[in-house]
Amino acid sequence: MDVLLKEKHISIRRTVRAFCEREIKPVAGEIDRQARFPWEVADKMGPLGYFGIQVPRELGGAGLDSLSYAIIIEELSRVSGAVGLCVSVHNSVVLYPLLAFGSDEQKETWGRALARGEKIGAFCLTEPNAGSDAAGIEATALRDTDHYLLNANKVFVTNGGIADICLIFARTDPDAGHKGISVVVAERGTTGFVVGDLEDLCGMRANPVSSIRLYDCKVPLTNLLGREGQGLRIGMAALDTGRMGIAAQAVGIAQAALEEAVQYAGQRRQFGVPIEKHQVIRMMIADMATQVDAARLMVYRAALLKDRGLPFSQEAAMAKLFASEAACKVTDLAVQVHGGYGYSKAYAVERYYRDARVTRIYEGTSEVHRMVIAKGVLGK
Amino acid sequence: MPLNIIVCIKAVVTDMPTARVVRTVDSLRLNLFDLPALETALQLRETHGGKVTVLSLGPPQAQPVLKEALAMGADRAVLVSDPAAAGSDTLATANALAAALSKLAPFDVVLFGTRTCDSDTGQVGPQTATIMNIPVICGVTRLAVSAQQAEVVRLLDQLVETYAVDLPAAFTIHPEGARSRDIGLMGLAAAFDAATVESWTIADLGLVPAQVGDAGSPTRVLSMQTVKRDRQCEFISAQQPEQQADELMRRLVEAGLVG
Repeated sequence: MDVLLKEKHISIRRTVRAFCEREIKPVAGEIDRQARFPWEVADKMGPLGYFGIQVPRELGGAGLDSLSYAIIIEELSRVSGAVGLCVSVHNSVVLYPLLAFGSDEQKETWGRALARGEKIGAFCLTEPNAGSDAAGIEATALRDTDHYLLNANKVFVTNGGIADICLIFARTDPDAGHKGISVVVAERGTTGFVVGDLEDLCGMRANPVSSIRLYDCKVPLTNLLGREGQGLRIGMAALDTGRMGIAAQAVGIAQAALEEAVQYAGQRRQFGVPIEKHQVIRMMIADMATQVDAARLMVYRAALLKDRGLPFSQEAAMAKLFASEAACKVTDLAVQVHGGYGYSKAYAVERYYRDARVTRIYEGTSEVHRMVIAKGVLGK
Repeated sequence: MPLNIIVCIKAVVTDMPTARVVRTVDSLRLNLFDLPALETALQLRETHGGKVTVLSLGPPQAQPVLKEALAMGADRAVLVSDPAAAGSDTLATANALAAALSKLAPFDVVLFGTRTCDSDTGQVGPQTATIMNIPVICGVTRLAVSAQQAEVVRLLDQLVETYAVDLPAAFTIHPEGARSRDIGLMGLAAAFDAATVESWTIADLGLVPAQVGDAGSPTRVLSMQTVKRDRQCEFISAQQPEQQADELMRRLVEAGLVG
């Protein structure tokens, strides 16, 4: 019995899990092998509200809280890390800043379409020379009379290959240092908007991660999100929420690995007994379960703080650091429990092992998170 | 003609019971066999208009399951919940459901799943209809309503039967009768934030405790044990496929399985 979840959250978990088991799990292995985004699944998810989890109902979203959001991302990631990633990025680092900083018109135009999944969003911050050091952005959005002229080379863009609405972090004032960075929306189809080749990645292969390049791409001045120079503030606010999504994703992947390991340990026989009878396997299972549980509680706490309107940045950073590290440990142990079979693509733990690895890298590496957390603890 | 449709559903425990069954909010879920019945009801409403009410007998912890039915599209949810009803067998359950149906009357169509995935008897639908003295057809795969009649198709092992039946009538819907729709997050949010599940007691239904629960149940489950299968793998070591086949046949004949 869960002490933190209300009936509503328990029902959401149960319902989302049923959807995932029926619609996503059957294709999860195949879309990874084919590195194919499952549109057939996404088209079903749109009308069900998965692309507008926290978007107010008057804008066509589900209007749910952060705890529900964490549970949904966890459940999606339990069956497919790549689908969980698509939904997490779309909701947390695209829709959240749009709702928090966007004008009413922007919310109506883009928010509504994004919330229904009719359009997919992407967050374009990383560049060849800027990632952990977000202030090093070189992209430019120079104001002309009635438009911004965008030039950018954004790399490792999650959802890049399918995104319609991209939040571009670019310098509106090249001489103003980190205060000269703004967020401008670029839509696919605009002249000069080029989607680069898809990355051939280790994990999360069903998510079309690509580069997005903008060559003299003209967008109206009304595509500015918030105010000029607010870019890093918007980015940090988005990443606070994004961290929670990635932490929930890591919990989902770890949970899946734990379940597979438990099932396999009950079936595989060595030395005349199921390997679950061997103490060494039992110790591994105990460690895995404890890591998953602790990570989940940290994610829930960050979400509950956010839902109560309390500061949650530090807790979200800790949850992301711990959950992503836990996911790597747990998936590694799940492969170990499976022995040689765990190293084969015939078993799902091989995919979980690959998918987990990037959770320690994206939306802030573990090292950046330690910097953030240390600053929170030490106050400087 | 708008239809008043009632779907009797159950919040079931799907985990294998190891001792006494404990029903908590997390351990209960909507009986999977009820989903095609609920879907059939929603499709009937889409065609004819009207109202879909879900009705259940269960503990208060079953309430979220009824809200999930509201999220799926039901208009009204009624949970008959009373400590006196604890331990009801199928007949006592049918007594309570029939009394609740009388309170919900007039209705046109009452739907059930063919059975539940916990106690798995398949009796409650026909028993309830019998107590109500209305016709019942079990294992329905297609249900079409016109005027005050229904034309239904039901699936048997090797037969497809078609019936015409006057309404009101009860039907149990075959698992292949309808593929249930996915529940949306908007529906869940609305069900939990705004909708209510009506809660009725045994007294509200005009029943006395002796008609339901342990007291009203002629059957008792004395014990429950998991079946242990003692299976052994045998190897055939002959070299050639023909010899392996001969050896396999010899063993099957010896075991009296063929021959």
